Amino acid sequence: MMTHIGRAAVERRHLLDLDVFGRTEISEILETSAGMREVLGRQIKQVPTLRGRTVINMFFEESTRTRISFELAGKALSANVINMTARGSSVEKGESLVDTVRTLQALGADILVMRHGEAGAPYLAAQHFKGSVINAGDGRHAHPTQALLDLFTIQSRFGRIEGLKVVIVGDIVHSRVARSDLWGLTKMGAHVTLCAPQTLLGPEAYWRATWPELTISTDLDRALDGADVIMALRLQRERQEAGLLPSLREYSRFFGITAERVQLAASHCLVMHPGPMNEGVEIMPDVAISAQSVIEEQVTNGVAVRMAMLYRLAGE
Amino acid sequence: MRYLIKNGSIIDPAARVATIGSILIENGRVVRVSDHADLASAEPEVLGDDIEVINARGAVIAPGFIDLHTHAREPGEEYKETLATATRAAAAGGFTTICAMPDTRPTNDCAAVTRQVREIARRRGVIKVEAIGAITVGRAGTSLTEMAELVEAGCVGFSDDPRPITDSAMMRNVLSYAAMLDVPVLTHCEDLRLTMGWAMHEGIISTRLGLPGFPASAEEAIIARDIGLAELTGAHLHICTVSTAGGVALIRAAKERGIQVTAEVTAHHLTLTERWVLGSLGVNDPPAAKRPARGRKAEAGLGLPVWLVPTRLQPYDPSTRVSPPLRTEEDCDALIEGLRDGTIDAIVSDHSPQSSVEKECEYRLAEPGISALETVLGLALTLVHRGKMDLIDLIAKLTEGPATVLGRSPATLRPGQHADIVIFDPEAHWTVDSTTFVSKGRSTPLIGQQLRGHAMLTMYRGEIAFRRGSFGTLGANETQQASRLEGILGSDGE
Amino acid sequence: MLNEKQILSSDDLRRATTRIAHEIAERNAGIGDVMLVGIRRRGVPLAERIAATLADIEGVRVPIGVLDITLYRDDLEMRGPVPIVRPTTMPVDITGRTLILVDDVLFTGRTVRAALDALADLGRPARIQLAVLVDRGHRELPIRADFVGKNVPTSREERIETRLHEIDDGVDGVFIVREDQA
Repeated sequence: MMTHIGRAAVERRHLLDLDVFGRTEISEILETSAGMREVLGRQIKQVPTLRGRTVINMFFEESTRTRISFELAGKALSANVINMTARGSSVEKGESLVDTVRTLQALGADILVMRHGEAGAPYLAAQHFKGSVINAGDGRHAHPTQALLDLFTIQSRFGRIEGLKVVIVGDIVHSRVARSDLWGLTKMGAHVTLCAPQTLLGPEAYWRATWPELTISTDLDRALDGADVIMALRLQRERQEAGLLPSLREYSRFFGITAERVQLAASHCLVMHPGPMNEGVEIMPDVAISAQSVIEEQVTNGVAVRMAMLYRLAGE
Repeated sequence: MRYLIKNGSIIDPAARVATIGSILIENGRVVRVSDHADLASAEPEVLGDDIEVINARGAVIAPGFIDLHTHAREPGEEYKETLATATRAAAAGGFTTICAMPDTRPTNDCAAVTRQVREIARRRGVIKVEAIGAITVGRAGTSLTEMAELVEAGCVGFSDDPRPITDSAMMRNVLSYAAMLDVPVLTHCEDLRLTMGWAMHEGIISTRLGLPGFPASAEEAIIARDIGLAELTGAHLHICTVSTAGGVALIRAAKERGIQVTAEVTAHHLTLTERWVLGSLGVNDPPAAKRPARGRKAEAGLGLPVWLVPTRLQPYDPSTRVSPPLRTEEDCDALIEGLRDGTIDAIVSDHSPQSSVEKECEYRLAEPGISALETVLGLALTLVHRGKMDLIDLIAKLTEGPATVLGRSPATLRPGQHADIVIFDPEAHWTVDSTTFVSKGRSTPLIGQQLRGHAMLTMYRGEIAFRRGSFGTLGANETQQASRLEGILGSDGE
Repeated sequence: MLNEKQILSSDDLRRATTRIAHEIAERNAGIGDVMLVGIRRRGVPLAERIAATLADIEGVRVPIGVLDITLYRDDLEMRGPVPIVRPTTMPVDITGRTLILVDDVLFTGRTVRAALDALADLGRPARIQLAVLVDRGHRELPIRADFVGKNVPTSREERIETRLHEIDDGVDGVFIVREDQA
């Protein structure tokens, strides 16, 4: 019997960022995610694949939804899943990241799912860990599983990603979701537009040097013309306190995704959001639950995509 | 003890000397400089019982290097470095004088600490240690130190490095007071509000890696401010570790206007860029991710830029974190041009040893600093090997330039001078292995990097402070002549 | 150098699947509650061919499920890259039915064991029978086929390749492939 082996044939131990992934490998991940989504549709949402493996969710930054998503993904594969948050741990008492990782290894962890406030922290962990590290978000650098589930959602709806026009709106300069989606979408052939107030973008040249095909705009109404996907990013209230915006009200007026703005895009346009949403700021409540919104699908797909990644990395 | 150094290429920028020759040393001083490759073959009587002959064949003999900017960590952080280990590391790098910055614990902000530093250095060091006094008490930026007394105790300049002076009114007073004492004020230029939370240079790589950035203008804004205040007060302003093209332009314009400003650049800012934070990750980027082609990428004759390419580093390696940060290739070009046209007076180490506690952590939280003393020469010689500078001019930036900044007569090898000498092999290939460093500091992005150029023997006041292996003993007692070293003294480069 | 020997021609294949279909019909008098489940990949077109023959002889179109057993394998720590997981699709509930698992080659039996585990998570069939095109021996588990196209003795080092025109280029057939030391 010939099983369909991954054509990408890459020995990959970690998922730290999508920048080193090729198009073929991403396609395989999306295919596997479809297989995993089917499991989640069964009565018994569980397969024995990772039985006996230990997955530790090492979250130095609070995030209930992502943590639960990874937890469900691990459990659906029959893995032992342990949640570790920084609060109350030895990390709070001053233990270094490297020591924490080594301790978890000695305790038998096979996969570390790590969220951390500092960009690059998972790379440091990966250097000291014999198993696999999955980056669940590091500072403003990367959130690769979010990008993968976004790609999976788009592909599931449109049957393709190539050639689609995707507009990402929000606090781009501080966003790990924006960066990972940039890698994923451009590698799969989509056209990406970044749209934000200038203070939340920074110099255009810095983005173009890494992603040359990018469109960058501060005029949302114009940017939405012909868009197939609108991706709204969460705007943190602290940005206004830090002097980057005059007020949330002005942001919402000029950059918020309203029903009127969705009309400016293509009629089949999807509305996406990585969550959690600041309804009324970057996205209006009626848009979030509209027929074009796939925000809930993103959440379901997130578990499937994370199952796919746990499966792929555990097999190496 | 007497020494005869023979068969070397003597390069003495201050004396405008570049020749094959030999040097005779007695009682800690240079007594003869001869253009005979082997003085003993012409005058056998110079040899005697108490002489040691050093065969410098294939090597360059120069005045010992002077480092304006070292963090020796003692007193207070001896686990990172001591004056004993710092001076030995300096000697291994070819330096016979280092200027110790005052960011010790306690800060060198009073005469007692200055005397303590000089005393420890005298007893346990192997080369000269000059003390830089703090500008403000505790380097807290609020009140002036007793500068006159500090000068009396031996301080040769003032700095709050690595902290800037944020209060402009205070900076004016600092420069004004120091002008009276005729000593340089060495400033670390950084607008702390603009750099808050920074991890690396703000630009293409910081955007890709999601790291908060230190924009070039945060350094340039304070350089401009300090130049203006130097003009106003007539002080000698010295800009520490300039790292941006804009900064070089500001200093150049200031010198043209006759303002008394000098500047230094580190060897790593001349040769390493922000790409080192990306590490080997960027080396295999598909074409779309490479930088757009620029003109003027290759300088005359060689087609090779000076900046080194990281091939071994993981991304986010904290050994690449320095203050100011590694910047762009354009900045490297401008800094090199600044060296060539005299805008920048000196090459320094900014030796900042850290222990693994400070460095083995998340990138932005790592203490900045490279253990630099032992790689300055190898890095700096890249400029010569790639045809950007003549060797004699490069050596001037390590000897004559720093001496001028300190307001003293240039280091030179003329008879009667102290025998502060470095013998180095400009062609020696070596691979950086910080576990074999003399310094306690192991953190450098250059681990595994091949460099070309190594100090072989360093002499301070006529005593050997450092010898690499058994350098100089081979063929010491033969009397054959050295042949002229090809390419060393010309501007051909390699 | 690859050494290839054909052991089933496309005609042999046709006759074998026809015979299996007849045997299934005979064993399960009236195929009312029968369901074919093809094990990915090559079990699936075989199941479709058998179903087509059953439709001819019994006039009934039995449902066909597609089973991906990748997540149930016991050999995840393989050398090399990880297999892609594809969806499993069951057009009807399997509970209470007579399931005929269909695969091209029966070898160690581990694939069938994984398939049984997968089916256990999907429902409770009344009975499960196994139909294979080729039984090549070397069982490592107590598993036997109910319907066999051809028994082919092989050595462990040999590889059996099934080519079906629904998936592969060229003509249908089953081949023994051996790596020869040149």
